[in-house]
Formats: sequence, C-alpha cells, structure tokens
Amino acid sequence: MKIISCIKPVPDPASRLIINEAKTWIKDQDLTFVASEADNYALEEALRLKEKHGGDVVVVSMGGEEAARVLRSGLAMGADRAIHLLDPKFKGADEFAAAATLAKVIEKDGGADLVLTGVQSDDLGTGMTGTMLAEFLGWAHATVVVAVEANPDAKSLKVRRELEGGINESVELPMPAVLTVQFGINQPRYASLKGIMAAKKKEFKAVTAADLGLSDNAAGKAGAMYEVREILIPARKSRVELITGTPEEEAATLVEKLRKEAKVL
Amino acid sequence: MIFVIAEHKDNKLKPITSELLVFAQRAGRDFGQPVTAVVLGSSTAGIANELKTRKIDRVITAEHADLGEYNPDPYVEVLKSILEKEKPFLVLIGHTTQGMDFAPRLSVRLRRPLIAGCVEYEKQGDRLILTRQVFNAKMNMKTSPRGEPPFFATASPGAFPGDEVETGGSAEVVAFPVQLSGGSRRKLLERVEAPKGKADLSSAPIIVSGGRGLKQKENFSLVFELAEAIGGSVGASRPVVDAEWLPREYQVGSSGQTVSPRLYIAVGISGAIQHLVGMQTARCIVAINKDPEAPIFKVAHYGIVDDLFKVVPALTKIFKDLKQA
Repeated sequence: MKIISCIKPVPDPASRLIINEAKTWIKDQDLTFVASEADNYALEEALRLKEKHGGDVVVVSMGGEEAARVLRSGLAMGADRAIHLLDPKFKGADEFAAAATLAKVIEKDGGADLVLTGVQSDDLGTGMTGTMLAEFLGWAHATVVVAVEANPDAKSLKVRRELEGGINESVELPMPAVLTVQFGINQPRYASLKGIMAAKKKEFKAVTAADLGLSDNAAGKAGAMYEVREILIPARKSRVELITGTPEEEAATLVEKLRKEAKVL
Repeated sequence: MIFVIAEHKDNKLKPITSELLVFAQRAGRDFGQPVTAVVLGSSTAGIANELKTRKIDRVITAEHADLGEYNPDPYVEVLKSILEKEKPFLVLIGHTTQGMDFAPRLSVRLRRPLIAGCVEYEKQGDRLILTRQVFNAKMNMKTSPRGEPPFFATASPGAFPGDEVETGGSAEVVAFPVQLSGGSRRKLLERVEAPKGKADLSSAPIIVSGGRGLKQKENFSLVFELAEAIGGSVGASRPVVDAEWLPREYQVGSSGQTVSPRLYIAVGISGAIQHLVGMQTARCIVAINKDPEAPIFKVAHYGIVDDLFKVVPALTKIFKDLKQA
C-alpha cells in the first residue's frame, strides 16, 4: 500500500500567540512549529498500516522551514520519503487552496491507496481540508476515524467513525480513499536516535507551484475562497461572580442564584 | 434565500437544526432574505411537519430510499442539484460529524466558499462577515467569503440559542424530485449507540463534570451523587478519562464531546483550553475549584474557590432536600 500522510506545521501549543499588526494572522517569526497533534495520530496510523500490509509512507507538508521540520520528524518516525510544498506562492492558502494543492501533488506523485490527515488542525481547526482533498481527487472519504482495517487485495477499507454522544458507526469504502483521523486513535511513537539518523538518507523533495502546473490564482492566498478580515481575542461574555462563605453557605447561595438569578433550575 | 440543511435522527430534528434556524431567522431579517429548510431522508413528512411550524418561508423535502441513512455521496449529489436550481445566498449546515462530513465536498463540487465552525455573523454594508474560532478558541477570526453566492457556513453547536427559534409559521412544503445516478461509494455497516443508560451529553440540559481535583477514582462518586440529586448527566475532563477513572464517552472537550447545556457544573476541573472548547457555550457555568487562578474561572458565571470535598456534598444535600420537599 502507498499511504500519504499530510502534516500541517502549527505553533507549538505552549507558545504565546501574538496577533500581527495587520490583524490577519499571528506573528509567526519567532515561534517554534510542531506537527499539528491530530496529524501525528494520522502518521502513526499510516506507519502501522504499512507495518501490517507492506508498502510506503510518504509525508507531505506545505510551508517554509517549519514544514521541513515536521517532515524531517515524520521521516525519523518511520516515513519513507518526504514531499515539501515549498513556494512563496503557497503562502496564505485557506483550506480550499491547500486541498487543491495537495490534490495536485498527490496526482503528480502517481496517486496513492490511502491519504490520512488529522481530523482538524490546531490553528484553523475547521476540519475541512481532508474532505476537500477527497473531493478534488474524486475519492471516497470518511471523517473522525477511530479505527482502520485495510484489505489491500480487495482495495477496500473498513473504518469506524466517532459520532456525537459516544455513538460509533462502521463504514466500508473503496480505496483509494482519504481518512481524517481522530485524536487518540493510537499512541504515536517517538522518533528513535536510529530513526533520526536514517531519516537523513531518505528522499526529501521540494515541489513548487510551477512544478504542479498550478496557475497563480489557484495557489496560496490567491486561490483562497475567503478573506481574513480580522483576528481578535474574543471578549469574555461573562465575568465570574465569586461566592464566599462556609461551604454550606456557599452551596446555599449558589442554589439560590441558579434559581432566582440565572433561572437555570 | 437562506437555506438550512436540517439534521435529524429517528424522525426528530436534532438540536443543531433549531440553532441553524435561529441563525437563519436572524440573518434572514438582516439581509432581507427568506428562509428555506431542506430535509433529506427516506421519509420526510414527520420532519417537514415539525419544520413548517417554525417561522420560515418554505420547506423543501428530498425523499429517496438511499437518503434514509446519512451517506455523503447521495447527500452531496442531491444538495448540488437543489442548490443549482434554487441559487440561495447562504447555506447553513451543522458543524457536526455529519455536517462536516459532506459540507467540504459540497463546497468543492460547487467551487463556492465554505466558512466552517461559525459562532457569529455580522452585516457590514451588504457584506456578510462570518466569525469563527481559531487556535482552540483562543482567538476569533472574521472572514468574508469571496465571489458570488451561494456561500456555505457550518455553525458550531451551541453558538446560536436553539430555544429562541421563532415559531408560528405555516411554511409551504415542496417536494424536490430526486434523481440519483452516482450511487454511494461508502456503505454503512452498523451504528453502535452509546452504552445503555448513558445520555447523549450533546443534548443534556444539566451536566456535572469532574476533573483531576477529585484526586482519585473513588471520589468520583461525589460527582455522580450531585448529578443524581440535581437530575443531570455526568461528564469528565480528559485527565480523568486518560487515568481510566471513567470510560472515554464521558469526556467533554475538543477530543471528546462538545456540550452546550443550560447548566454546567465543573468540579475540580482546572479548565485546559481543550476542555473549555467543549463546554464554554453552556448558558450557565459554575466552577468549584480551590485554585483561584484556574482558567475555568475565566469562563464561569459563578465561582466557588473552596474545597470541593466540602462544597459538593453540601450542594448534593440541598438538592436532595429540595426534591423531598
């Protein structure tokens, strides 16, 4: 099986995010970037499928040095080769433009049996890109996947999706397919020292918009379907009212307020 | 026209549909656009009857045996033909595991913008601005869709108050002639419901949730007792589930359930962002925690900074006494 794992670099969750002057994004110059958490689960799932069924895992990422960094770490975890979408023209892509670009690079690379992405990213967090990618490729897809069983001979997949309220559904779909992988599906491995050393010898290819035959209005910001007007810190809609006293008094005051003031009981 | 794609289950509208209708009714007024609800299913009469009592202009039903259970291929195919014929301004879909399974495909197939996870909208001149949360709800992003309508938007559960949906309508119900040619690549094998006796937290009116502050598994009985006395459901933060005090289905937060109850009582939960994302749209939030710096107090309406092992039993006693009275 050939499996492609798409990885988005996002600011390290521990970093302090500051909005840029234009208020269109965050100041990303001095930040450390890591793989978006859900994409780590997707890569681990790809590696497990490869270990079970044989084949190759290709990691793909878009961006500058931050993308190269998550790709190197993907190779160190065990991916076989990396494709780096590296071009200033890719900058400012929304989900639509990113999915269109990913579809092009996957087609250019000769397709795949399976593409895995995280269910959503830690920055935009909308969970659109994987499903949009499936549509651009014309493949089947499933979202919020918590278990994958592949049958490469029959070119079919059985996956479990996690729905709201603890409900799960099992679906069968043909390969090639795109799956968006839910948090917690597995325990992602850490790169070993041996893995890190081995990664240095693996194929690492940079690809530009021109390589993909993407027109200038299809990539990056120009290919985006929406404009970012403003990024802001939302005003908290409420200021906490602290209740004090002995535990018994606190409990009594709270119940009184919930009934008379908030009227939620 | 503003379209709402109704989400339903067991012949009943799901709560998200009322929230979408509120969004549509408000935006409809602001932009001077009539509201149409669209129902896909194998038998839609019951849902259409429920929808037409809402204050909207029209209900479009699309019936086909292959639409009985949600499946992305026939859904996208039918919606594409409806939207191409009707040419609405805005199409509202739930930001749910169902809505987000087909909305991105539909957006790409029609080459029209999708703004996912909206929590607010505004009108600037004639322009529609849609606001969504980014960076795990630490920031909001205001966006405007480009080009010509239709524009797609998915609304985050809990962002619009479903109980404020205006009723008193008598919308016309129109059947759309469904023709499916594409088949469906994805086959539903089985759906496993949540373990018996456990409520779907996404529609629970009252939730009492416990966190690491309870210190050990055995102490979680305090949360269950309070929930029982108050008539609510039980939830938990991620560390509780990771420590296997409770099964995964109790987890509230970005990787668990997103809830929007009338009342959410957080017991010993510090309020990591991943947890806040899943519950901050609750109408009333109570936090009980002995650490006054805990981030949970930033989203709480009422806070008690004290020992939960004393406050929670006192609360449980009051509710028990109230029940008996």
